[in-house]
Amino acid sequence: MVKIRRVPYIFLTPFLILFALFFVFPFVYSLILSLFVNIQGEYKFVGLTNYLTAWEDKSFWYAIYRVAYYGVVQVTIMLVLALVLALFLDSRYVKNKALFRVIYFLPYAVPGVIAAIMWGFLYSPDLNPILNIFASFTGGKPLNLLDSGTVLYGIMNMATWAWTGYNMTIYFASLTSIPIELYDAAKIDGCNEFQTAWHIKLPLLKQVIVMTTVLSIIGSLQLFNEPYVLSSLTSIPATFTPNMDIYNMAFAYGNFTYSATLSITLVLITFIASLLFMYATSERTTAKKKKIRNTAKSHTGLSASTMSYTGEGEKTL
Amino acid sequence: MSLRSNSFTTTNLQRQNHSKSKKERISTSFSMILMIVMAAYFLFPLYWLLVAMTKSTNQLFNTSMLAFPEHLNLMANLNWLNSYQDGMFWRWVLNSVIYAVGAGLLGTLVSSMAGYSLAKYVFKGKNFLTVSVLGSLMIPGAALAIPVFLMIKSLGLINTYAGVLLPMIVNPFGVYFMMVFIKESMPNELIDSGRVDGASDYGIFFRIALPIIRPGLVTLFLITFIGSWNNFFLPLVLLNKTSLYPLTVGLQIWTANLNAAGTGQPLYPLILIGSFLSILPMLIMFPILRKHIVSGIAMGGVKS
Repeated sequence: MVKIRRVPYIFLTPFLILFALFFVFPFVYSLILSLFVNIQGEYKFVGLTNYLTAWEDKSFWYAIYRVAYYGVVQVTIMLVLALVLALFLDSRYVKNKALFRVIYFLPYAVPGVIAAIMWGFLYSPDLNPILNIFASFTGGKPLNLLDSGTVLYGIMNMATWAWTGYNMTIYFASLTSIPIELYDAAKIDGCNEFQTAWHIKLPLLKQVIVMTTVLSIIGSLQLFNEPYVLSSLTSIPATFTPNMDIYNMAFAYGNFTYSATLSITLVLITFIASLLFMYATSERTTAKKKKIRNTAKSHTGLSASTMSYTGEGEKTL
Repeated sequence: MSLRSNSFTTTNLQRQNHSKSKKERISTSFSMILMIVMAAYFLFPLYWLLVAMTKSTNQLFNTSMLAFPEHLNLMANLNWLNSYQDGMFWRWVLNSVIYAVGAGLLGTLVSSMAGYSLAKYVFKGKNFLTVSVLGSLMIPGAALAIPVFLMIKSLGLINTYAGVLLPMIVNPFGVYFMMVFIKESMPNELIDSGRVDGASDYGIFFRIALPIIRPGLVTLFLITFIGSWNNFFLPLVLLNKTSLYPLTVGLQIWTANLNAAGTGQPLYPLILIGSFLSILPMLIMFPILRKHIVSGIAMGGVKS
């Protein structure tokens, strides 16, 4: 470390100016704007009135509920799938691993809008006759993922398609950083592939899983691109997700003060949700860590050598 | 060791291996089936797009979904794409390149300078800054789109390249990434020896640090490039001039006008071939670029 007065600030200046202009100021400006209403071009200070309106805004809270439900279902499916794929790709049963890794990760290179357009067309029974196969399950009509009742599941499929490989890649990278001695130790203790995955790999991935979950939850709450694109192919309400509500409030109704209020509310909800999740998991990790160790010891007879490696791995991850 | 006992051991081992390999084969087949099914799921829409872009609207609805048509309509679609709205599609390609390359280069430079400062200097306010950068990772860019719109509007930058580029350059993750990367890959002795040789702090950064952290710069550039290329919400909010749209916004507008564009025929072929062309370069380069991207996003998953 070097001690010099002005230089570090000069290196930071470009970032700080832009960070202030396009991160901090917009936030503060919106915060101020949310305390006003615009009556025929004149701004009038109204205190927290906008927030009280937001508090009673049923369609906004329903949108929050919808993306929360979407998040719980989609994130669970996606991350479990990503984890399973990563563990399989890390096992000795799979050949051509490099090829599969590239294929699974490929959707990351496709813009969300284009993925939404592709799948949107594929959800139309006229373009995708495969959907007719499902007719017997849905009462004679072809499966319609653009229907108002099912479109949310259609969007879940889009997000799962787009982001499973991304998360799989993160898990796989973490798995390859596990020291090889740990596997040798497990093998000596008589662990098979599945036991190694369950008792050694999974506990070591815990922190990464928590982090990807938080990032995915943040992403779900911001849901916009897919429903926005689909809204031109099917009828989707303007308040379908919080960000669509915010966007339409600003650009369809020109109500920027209320749009700012909803933006701030959404940022706060996102922030609190991710903090709560991290708090909940961090408390449980300490309790569970002990449990895992004890059960692992009693059920598989893992020796002390394996467990000590597990402990070290957790710290380094 | 006698020959006999040796051969005995081998047979025993062989027998063991044989019974094991049966179980092994089942596990292998099951794993491979799962891998192939999932690969088919991820490739299915891309393959469909490849087939669909060679069809006319009529063929799209009346020929087998996953088979190329007897009479390829690819050239006709391409010609239509080139002439539609005076070749607007290629203007959007150019815009996307400007936004993605611009944000990639400037964003990487700005982030690496800030990351270098946080990694290698001791100064007042350093901890506060580090915590602010980490904290802002929790604030999603999308939630700030309207606030950023208001800011850009008051700066008079609506409907300009700069208005879209500037917010894309700000990347707290990039700063965090470069900070960690520089800490890990550049020893302090290099700074000291550079100083002994009479180099200034800026000389040390540009001539010693940047070459050393080049792998990190490549990774951050690629991640920023892809993020900007794929960005939709920000340009949608900041632009309402067709000639400034990136591909994402342009193709979405065509989709919204699918049946109402006044050309007398639906825009399906345009949207399909346009979508395919806009992902083709990335799909081709992806296998080569993948390993550079992975090191960056893997850190994103482990971060904070």
